[in-house]
Amino acid sequence: MKTEEVEEKSDTTSPSDEPVHLEGIPGSPGLAIGPAVVVDVRRVGVPRHHVKKHAVDRELQRYDQAVEVAARGLREVSERIKGTAARAEASILEAYILMVEDEALRGDVERHIRLDLQCAEWALDGAVESMAQQLRDGGDPYLAERSHDFEFVGDRILGSFLGRPKALSLPALEEPSIIVAKDLSPAETAGLSRDFVLALVTEMGTRTAHTAILARALEIPAVVGVRGILSRLGSGDRLVVDGFRGRVVLNPTQKIIEKTTERAEKHLAIVRGLHELKDRPAATKCGEPIILRGNIELPAEAAIAIGEGSAGIGLYRTEFLYVDRADLPSEEEQYATYRKVLEVAGDRPVVLRTFDIGGDKFASSFQVPPDMNPALGLRAVRLGLAHPEIFSEQLRAMVRASAHGHLRIMVPMIAQLREFRAVKELLARATRDVDAAGHARAAEVPLGVMVEVPSAAMIADELAREAAFLSIGTNDLIQYSLAVDRTSRELAYLASPFDPAILRLIRGVIKAGKDRGRPVSVCGAMASDPLAAVLLVGMGLRELSMEASAIGEVKEAIARVTLAEAEGAALEVLELADGAEIEQAVTAQFAPRLSDLLDAGSDDS
Amino acid sequence: MDVARGTFEVVNRLGLHARAATKLVTLAAKFSCEIMIERDGQQANCKSVMGVLLMVGSKGTKLAIEARGDGAEEAVRQIGELFASRFGESE
Repeated sequence: MKTEEVEEKSDTTSPSDEPVHLEGIPGSPGLAIGPAVVVDVRRVGVPRHHVKKHAVDRELQRYDQAVEVAARGLREVSERIKGTAARAEASILEAYILMVEDEALRGDVERHIRLDLQCAEWALDGAVESMAQQLRDGGDPYLAERSHDFEFVGDRILGSFLGRPKALSLPALEEPSIIVAKDLSPAETAGLSRDFVLALVTEMGTRTAHTAILARALEIPAVVGVRGILSRLGSGDRLVVDGFRGRVVLNPTQKIIEKTTERAEKHLAIVRGLHELKDRPAATKCGEPIILRGNIELPAEAAIAIGEGSAGIGLYRTEFLYVDRADLPSEEEQYATYRKVLEVAGDRPVVLRTFDIGGDKFASSFQVPPDMNPALGLRAVRLGLAHPEIFSEQLRAMVRASAHGHLRIMVPMIAQLREFRAVKELLARATRDVDAAGHARAAEVPLGVMVEVPSAAMIADELAREAAFLSIGTNDLIQYSLAVDRTSRELAYLASPFDPAILRLIRGVIKAGKDRGRPVSVCGAMASDPLAAVLLVGMGLRELSMEASAIGEVKEAIARVTLAEAEGAALEVLELADGAEIEQAVTAQFAPRLSDLLDAGSDDS
Repeated sequence: MDVARGTFEVVNRLGLHARAATKLVTLAAKFSCEIMIERDGQQANCKSVMGVLLMVGSKGTKLAIEARGDGAEEAVRQIGELFASRFGESE
């Protein structure tokens, strides 16, 4: 990517003091003013350690694996642009593929590993750097520029090593700063500290991408999908980040900074006010109790969610145990992790979702066939049923953890009744194994379905007959129902929870749960929007699960509306046929009285 | 064993850059014989893009090709043609 950045810089950067307003997508609410730190996650933190003599063959093997992964990735891109007008790009990709697999490069790397006993990453970095230096010293200015190609190739291989240690990915910050990057992996985002990171800005991503979800959980303001920001900014430049509206201002004027500071203080006052009410149970204005729970990704977030007044964990995404590592987590390791979360939750229920790997989450432990559309491919329960030994290990760990609190298990991506029955059978077997091994467990471990594939929503009545509970995952339900990639910026307008198709699917699931006496909840991003949450209550939901940072706002929003008002609004908008009209109708009815919750970030007042 | 040699001049304006080197290496890889490329006593495997790039073959550079093994002569002939065709570039 180096080459691209250099080229972009040369034709777009014009140093000036004028403020530049850039539009992105609101990723996480909040405002920040501060210096930028531009992070190129590929170049920083190359591991440098010596290896033992007997381990050199293993290091070479690791290198060959990384080369294979990097070459495969480039071939995929190359295939994708074949037949398009991008002929120059296609031929440079051919060159990159040859360079990734280059024998001379491998020879140098092997020498550094065998003779200097360097780990594979260090050997590669050294080999690439010395080759790039030779080219720069060659005396031909055009060819000297090609040394960037070498670095690019080195970066691709470096980024393809399995089990790359995540702690090394981000630079140590010397002062509170705004991180600006092309993209951040969930692991990198999770490793950020609230004290030093004022805000995040990325070129890639959408509101439901993991960077944004994690930033909200960590309460770090974020703007994602800001095209071209990296070519306009360097480390140390001051900027203003508006995570409410999805805006970034470069070179802000004193006036912009003052106004932003004022808005930030106003927002903080509201957040503080909500925080004081955190121990008050959630209910509508007329007293109908509503259960609000937190979504978490990392065990450490459990305490944050409980601290926000959450009535338990409505969605614990366990795949975090699997990503960014070369081996699989053992039953023992998983048990210890789940147990910790249950102990933090105390007598509140915790819903553990079995691993949802595949799709936009990459797990190095599994080799998923590269020729599939990942969102529609072998992921989540499909992957689990294809690898029952790995899936059963997770189920056993969950059953054992059930001894320490109120544990429920939720299965993601169920598309057919048959899949749910297969999981039920595996869980029964896992329970027998736990008993046979003499471990303690709860008398009953409820097994539920995450409804996120439209087919599951349509057979919700059948699923409700056999599942202990249903929970609607709105992010994927929207993606699959409207055929819109959740990371696409151009199609973000389609991905609305107010779309009539989505509301009708949700209505069907709520009815199925009611008919069969099974609890139904929503655990997608929709539940964390105060307006949408009021609508969901009106549609009959009594359980919502959301990022911890949204609990206070949603609780307050619900407390200002009576059940009759919410139900009336739901009845009315379900008659409408257009998503934008529905959103307008809900906004017209409730926004005036929720304005401080919705517009905490507004600069209109 | 067949051995063939040839010395060729880089005549295209941009020189032996990544795309040109790719063409050279792809051509060399079609032959089973060993092919080396040499400049001022510095040698590299002609089947390695990075090795070829490190020859820093600017316009006007003369590079020696040496092939050993099956099809050596044909390999050197085709490589000579590729140099002469400016690696398929227009200038």
